[in-house]
Amino acid sequence: MVYVKWTFWITIWLIVGAFFHYTLPQHDIVRIVNTYEEREELGDWTRIFWATPDDQSANLINRDVQFIQAVTPEGKAKVYRNEDTGWHWPPYFKFDTANLYTEANDAKSTKENPEWYAITHYGWRNEYWTVFPNAVAIKRVDGPDATIIPWLNILILTLFFALIWAVRVRWIRFRQARIDPVLEDIEDGWDAAGDRIAEKRGRVRRWLDSWKSKK
Amino acid sequence: MFGLLRLVIIGFVILTIIYVGVSLYSRSVRRDKLEREWDEEVKKGDREDFVEDGLDEYENSFRRKLIWLVYIIPVVIVLAIIYMVNIY
Repeated sequence: MVYVKWTFWITIWLIVGAFFHYTLPQHDIVRIVNTYEEREELGDWTRIFWATPDDQSANLINRDVQFIQAVTPEGKAKVYRNEDTGWHWPPYFKFDTANLYTEANDAKSTKENPEWYAITHYGWRNEYWTVFPNAVAIKRVDGPDATIIPWLNILILTLFFALIWAVRVRWIRFRQARIDPVLEDIEDGWDAAGDRIAEKRGRVRRWLDSWKSKK
Repeated sequence: MFGLLRLVIIGFVILTIIYVGVSLYSRSVRRDKLEREWDEEVKKGDREDFVEDGLDEYENSFRRKLIWLVYIIPVVIVLAIIYMVNIY
């Protein structure tokens, strides 16, 4: 039972962690190198990693997608897709893809004379599945080691954990007030019934105890 | 624009569920509080009447109206995100 419980909660928290890691905005400090447009096939399961910029595009099996190519200060390649999220998930409400593309083209710089930009993006890069993070905004920064404090993520995660805590506290209180007394009633009934069912009770009681809050 | 419509409808349904849930929860918390107040301080008159009067008062209170923030806050957040992402 303990292993089932742990496996369950670890799985739940991994999913929650992955969800936030995919959805929340992250910042990369990069030098923008180039932009390009490429026809992308959208017919398989990796469709979930592409956006749905408008209502027609939900049914298309391929369409042109804009990309922004960048290089980190360490020289690592970064490629971002540039797609409207529109009114769809995740809730960035990005409609200014064409503007962002223009800004990115304006922000190109060479290795000899680099200009550094903070690209805000969400999503994951996976070369094997051809998955790209979606760029949301670009902003000029002073240098390659500029620090950006993720205030929004701090706020969202704080609120999220506050909510989890509030629900948990109320659930534990509810369990102590409403479920534990009922279980104790049942137990008392069993105790009165004597030892004839002692062996059976051992098993059932252990199951009942698993519902009780730890005191 | 169908996307917007879908967002509005689904959002409205979810927020209504939250609104109703929070309303019921808040009312039950107020009821507990009134009952405790009668048990510990008032101790005279009809307990049920005292609680009902208190709940009527709560229905017209500013606190009760604050639950409308369940609808207002998400709309403000969405407008703020649209502004920050596309215009700012």
